[in-house]
Amino acid sequence: MRWRRLALIGAALLATACVEELAAPGACPDYCPSNQLTIVDTVLGNNISRDSAFRGYVLPNQSAVMLAANLPGVDGRPIFRKNGPGSRSRINPNDTTTGAIRSSDSARLQLYIIRRDSAATNLTLRFFRLPKTIDSTTTFADVNPFTDSLVRRPLNIDTLLAQPNRKDTVTGDSAVVDTINHRLVLSLKFDSTAARYIAADSGSVAYGIRISADSLASIAIGKGTLGPTLTWYIRLDSSNVRVPRTLGTFSAAFASTVRNPEAPPIDSTLAVGGVPSARSLLRVAFPKFIRDSSQIIRATLILVPAVPARGALIDSFTVEVHTVLVDLGAKSPIAVDATRTDTTMIHIGATDTVRIEVTNLLQFWAADSTQPTSLVLRARDEAQSFAEVRFYPSIAAALERPKLEVTFVRRFPFGAR
Amino acid sequence: MRRIAWLVTIVCAAQAAKWGTAAAQDSQFGVRGLGTPGRYESVRARSTGGAFTPFDPLSPLTEAPLADLAALTATAMEGTSYRQADVGGTTTSLRSTRFPLLNVAGRVAPRLAVAAGFTTYLDKSWDVQLRDSSQLRGALERYTDELTSDGSVADLRLAAASRLTRRIAIGAGIHLLSGSTRQTAERRFDDTTFHTVQQLAEVRYSGFGVSGSILIGIAPGLSLSGWARSDNRLRAKVADTTSALTDLPRGVGGGVLLAPSPSVKIGGSVAWRSWSRAGPGAFDTWSWAGGAEFGTGRTFAQGRASMDVGIERLERRGTGLTERVWTVLLGITVRP
Repeated sequence: MRWRRLALIGAALLATACVEELAAPGACPDYCPSNQLTIVDTVLGNNISRDSAFRGYVLPNQSAVMLAANLPGVDGRPIFRKNGPGSRSRINPNDTTTGAIRSSDSARLQLYIIRRDSAATNLTLRFFRLPKTIDSTTTFADVNPFTDSLVRRPLNIDTLLAQPNRKDTVTGDSAVVDTINHRLVLSLKFDSTAARYIAADSGSVAYGIRISADSLASIAIGKGTLGPTLTWYIRLDSSNVRVPRTLGTFSAAFASTVRNPEAPPIDSTLAVGGVPSARSLLRVAFPKFIRDSSQIIRATLILVPAVPARGALIDSFTVEVHTVLVDLGAKSPIAVDATRTDTTMIHIGATDTVRIEVTNLLQFWAADSTQPTSLVLRARDEAQSFAEVRFYPSIAAALERPKLEVTFVRRFPFGAR
Repeated sequence: MRRIAWLVTIVCAAQAAKWGTAAAQDSQFGVRGLGTPGRYESVRARSTGGAFTPFDPLSPLTEAPLADLAALTATAMEGTSYRQADVGGTTTSLRSTRFPLLNVAGRVAPRLAVAAGFTTYLDKSWDVQLRDSSQLRGALERYTDELTSDGSVADLRLAAASRLTRRIAIGAGIHLLSGSTRQTAERRFDDTTFHTVQQLAEVRYSGFGVSGSILIGIAPGLSLSGWARSDNRLRAKVADTTSALTDLPRGVGGGVLLAPSPSVKIGGSVAWRSWSRAGPGAFDTWSWAGGAEFGTGRTFAQGRASMDVGIERLERRGTGLTERVWTVLLGITVRP
């Protein structure tokens, strides 16, 4: 009897064990909640104002690359300087005795081309000697004319790549195609004429590069760890005997880009990109009825290009939209974390309206009403392309001015019948 | 001294269930209205469809039967329902477990008994999923809505009863209505460019009511019971702001009990509630029940504890919605 009783209790407990499964499809309107979520979509056409553009955030010498371009409206040329080894060098690695550097036999220059249009034919590089005094203040006019100082025969990339093993046995040039990183590594031989050792300069040299192609030519050459390096093959004076030696690899002490003409001046349009880089600041009057009592589910910044973005197709670039930490005009510090950044791709030549999803930015403003409601447009890779886009500003006609399209949900009337 | 006797019940019950007032725990019929009303019945009373409820001291419907409680008594109830909701040809299986009743009663003076406890006044737990679409930015955007409510309104009762004469007992009670629900509203778009909408709130409810009842012994083995109750308004507050104020029903009811022997009982009850006060779309309700009980039940621990097990079958029908419910009820009563 005891076991039967226990079994009875167990069965009762098992049958009434805690379970919960309540989700069921609704049969509206009779068996649905009285209230539904209400979604509103609105275009804020007059809420962006006091917008302006500024240039000079990233200068050519601060860019991560050197730019070479031969495009309508812009002629860009990389320039770089390598400080020399000095006037003396060790005769033997294990001996502190040094000898005077008398002359150079040759040198080998290594370049990383990190962006190029593989469809551009007859892409040709020409190297020019420049004064070693080049620095960040050097302009195109300062180093002009480039043509007077050609140091070696032009390098045709297509011809070099067509050689067996991509090595030109005549010139001593070679190339390596890095298909993983999409780079082209050039190893170029400079003879004693091209790589002159001038004792008065302690071996410092400076070069400039000019490019051409059958179509629009635009390439980017690496800097820093991917920058140009020069290896010297010299003759040392060892007891009045000139002995050959190889000096270590020298990186560029200075690398920049000069352009002609200079970057166009900022006007009333909203410029983004270019070299030096330009940014645009847009101030948004964020309506309180959205900020305070709604949930934003989608927000789109609508920009109309005033002119097509110019450049080679390879120069299509990404524009980022950031919120600012504090609105200080041109010097506003931007929030760079991914949660407060949105992007879109700007295609060269396109005039289509640009739409950038900025939902997270407006949600951030709604969550923290102390944040300034300003947006900054900038190129993701600033000063790494001559391409630049210009949008109509807020003072333009209604159809052209910047707009925000916001889709939001009103507060659900919880508890109401 | 074990007493072994089988309890057999015969039930005939009807709930004049109209919109917003369908009885029993959890129902899709309670989604649109205030919620699903509670039953004010112990397991034993509920197992007879409520026929004996007006005479059950452990059911919080009436107070007068408390006067006949011989000792301190506590009872608790658990119910697990297995529902099948048939909506537009789609059948969904639903399950839920509730603890709708706790009651402690005892005599504090020779002619005075008191009781305190709670029962479910309105069950407001549901989860509705909807599939729909709307025009947004010039395109048809499909989405899934999920609206949920989890919680209930409890009826906290403090009751007193007294046997005035050998034939008449009266009782009265005050009812504090209190509870909360955690409600969520979510919309997920198929197009993930639109972020998911998620809103939630905790809604708190409060209200007040009074009740009174009388138990009259007409003749040996024949009793009549009557009761009345009036609740004022249910106030819903979200973040200290009143979002709704709903008039609650008044109700009256009664019952008759014939007990020709200690092991045979025959009873019936009827109740009317003015749910139409709650607002548009609600209707007054009538409910009635009849039942017979043979036996005295099984007790444990020398009569100090008993366990009631009941199984309830319900079927509710409305336009476009049919619910079939099996509910397993478990009640524990202790007399220390």
